[in-house]
Amino acid sequence: MTKLTATRLSETPGLNPRPSRKKPLLKKPLLKRIAKGGFVAALPFLAPALAAYVVFVIGPMFSAVRLSLYKWSGFTTDQQVFVGFQNYVRLFTKDPVFWTAVQNSIIWVLLSLVIPTSLGLMMALALNRPVFGRNVFRSVFYIPGVLAPIAIANMWRWMYNPNYGIFSDISKTLHLGDGSGVTFLSDPKVAIYAVFAAFVWQVAGLNMVLFLAGLQSVSKELVESAKLDGANAWQVFRNVTLPALRPTVVVVLVLTIVNSIKVFDLVVGMTGGGPAQKSQVLALWSYTQSFLNHDFGLGNATATVLLLITLVLVIPYMIWSTKGNED
Amino acid sequence: MRLLAKGVAALAAVALLAGCGASASTTSNDSGKTTVTWWTINQSSPSADAQIDKIITDFEATNPDIKIERTSRAVDAHKDALRTAIGTSAAPDIYNYWAGPGLGGELVKANASADLTEYYKQYNWQDRFTGAALNPVTQYGGYQGVPWKLNGEALYYNKALFAKAGITKLPTTIDELNDAAAKLKAAGITPIEFGGTVNWHVMRLLDTFLEGYCGSAKFDQLVTKKANWGQEDCVTKSFTNLATWSKDYLNPGFIGINNDESSALFYNGKAAMALEGDWFNKNISDQKVNMDDFGVFPLPTGTGRLYGFEEAEYITKDSPHKDAAAKFLDYLTSTKVQQEVLGTFATQSVNKAVTPKSGGNALSTSWDSIFKNAKGLYMNNDQNLSQSSTTEYWRIQNLVATGGMDPNQAGAEFQKFLDSNN
Repeated sequence: MTKLTATRLSETPGLNPRPSRKKPLLKKPLLKRIAKGGFVAALPFLAPALAAYVVFVIGPMFSAVRLSLYKWSGFTTDQQVFVGFQNYVRLFTKDPVFWTAVQNSIIWVLLSLVIPTSLGLMMALALNRPVFGRNVFRSVFYIPGVLAPIAIANMWRWMYNPNYGIFSDISKTLHLGDGSGVTFLSDPKVAIYAVFAAFVWQVAGLNMVLFLAGLQSVSKELVESAKLDGANAWQVFRNVTLPALRPTVVVVLVLTIVNSIKVFDLVVGMTGGGPAQKSQVLALWSYTQSFLNHDFGLGNATATVLLLITLVLVIPYMIWSTKGNED
Repeated sequence: MRLLAKGVAALAAVALLAGCGASASTTSNDSGKTTVTWWTINQSSPSADAQIDKIITDFEATNPDIKIERTSRAVDAHKDALRTAIGTSAAPDIYNYWAGPGLGGELVKANASADLTEYYKQYNWQDRFTGAALNPVTQYGGYQGVPWKLNGEALYYNKALFAKAGITKLPTTIDELNDAAAKLKAAGITPIEFGGTVNWHVMRLLDTFLEGYCGSAKFDQLVTKKANWGQEDCVTKSFTNLATWSKDYLNPGFIGINNDESSALFYNGKAAMALEGDWFNKNISDQKVNMDDFGVFPLPTGTGRLYGFEEAEYITKDSPHKDAAAKFLDYLTSTKVQQEVLGTFATQSVNKAVTPKSGGNALSTSWDSIFKNAKGLYMNNDQNLSQSSTTEYWRIQNLVATGGMDPNQAGAEFQKFLDSNN
């Protein structure tokens, strides 16, 4: 049997799974490149969106960084006092919750990159075949993704309720106790994972839809060709489907990172960061510092750290992705 | 260019409309009425909510030139909304808030509230309110706010469950309370219910232990940072008792459920005690259960002080409708209205001319006695401490309650935070 290799696939005309890494033909000065690229002509059309972006995104971002250098209670009636990097020193050395929030945020991102993405891909592969009830299943899996996160939080909080929840009922039905042992949200070691389960339920369907869209771009001819060459299902997936899904995978991973690092609603709705701040995450801790503790300096320092982490994680992906498109 | 011009015109129109919308809430409306905006916390029962609506309707009927526009929010949403609105045109004319230094005091410090001395003179409010009710609104100098309700907190209990556990005498010390809880547990009954999601319900238990084990003087020194939390044995004893109660006597999973859910355990006879305020009378009666099945006794700290807090109605410093707002507050705290609502929001009125209801239920009668016999007041610690200290107090409390921290370390851990935030 002929073994299908990536080399053979790359030799197939027009079906190179790896985009070429050609350098731009000319390195013209920036202004010339902008002029040639039609940027000036596009500017009037871009201006309204750009203005909104500056006012509602860039402006608040700079404002947050600026406020992280001040001591301020958040009231417009209260004076802002410049304290330099004092808030960052407090955050890194004296804040009893910050490092727990950092740790939980990292755990959340790592788990998000593995569990809901894999589940989404598996569901997409399963439902990309002509199986009975395919559209119904697609809808069912997608529905959690369109529900408000706070509604999902309420729903799962009830499911976890040790007195009336479904897990408690199952435990009683299976004679595993009186249900009172079902304390997922009360256990400091388990709470963050219990909330994460709700997140998986929420986003796996969304990932599935993205992967399904990506799967439509996989050439049927190439799959057939691979099968004729004797490739088994895994080899077809590994050498044909997965390379063709590369842009989709990038989009899913970037969206997953962004969505998971800014997770807020589910944690607020299910645990409020508790018990004992053990399910605290950076976005919620920033909010808590500012709006509950009346410490906008510390809250914005937390938000700035969160911003930097997000940029460090997302910018390499964006550059890589943009280069791919330009090529 | 024409497209650009149209876009600019559209943006200008939107800005103009937005500007009109923003100013509408702070000026008199077209019909010549003055609209007074009033932000309140959600009431604890539907009947209390209906009572507030009735007060507004009655006031508007006798004052046709004033319209009261009430916005009610959950506790945390109320705090957030005030924070973002104070000092802007979106601020209400009147806001309802707790009067303790950690909450109402912080807003006073932030210049959110107006000094109402001139209205106290105009309406003779100095003579209207009890001394206990006036203390919290005069502690910052001048008159910051108008007393609305003074709530006491105590232990509600299920008489049948106490009898079943063989408890014949109500506890008067923390040690006796510990014994009662042990008896209830031995009888297969959940001794007390709590919902832990918002922290302040479990905090009541810890505050009680602190007052009981440390005594009044030391308790006051601790909350005013005049005593060291890490060096007091009574603090360690209190946290140790909290750990015991959390493990053995509270409803399982209490940290992960909210207080409404846990209260159902008390109403349904599945938990023997609830540490609640006098507003809880109304909650019980709303459940259509027999009020005589329940009793209430003071927190057995042995100090004689009442555990509680006051809520006041504050007029914002920048309110353009101070006169109308003061007129409404005069009506709200008048003897007529306070007599009508007695028992709905609190069992005792802040208005000293209001007389206790005759023929009230046994719970109301018990509360009359609790207030009458109280030797002073100690407030909930989220009222005493600053917001950031409260957040840390709750974190340590919950760590101890869930077994995540050795109770012997708790006092020192809290002191470390207080020291680093000075």
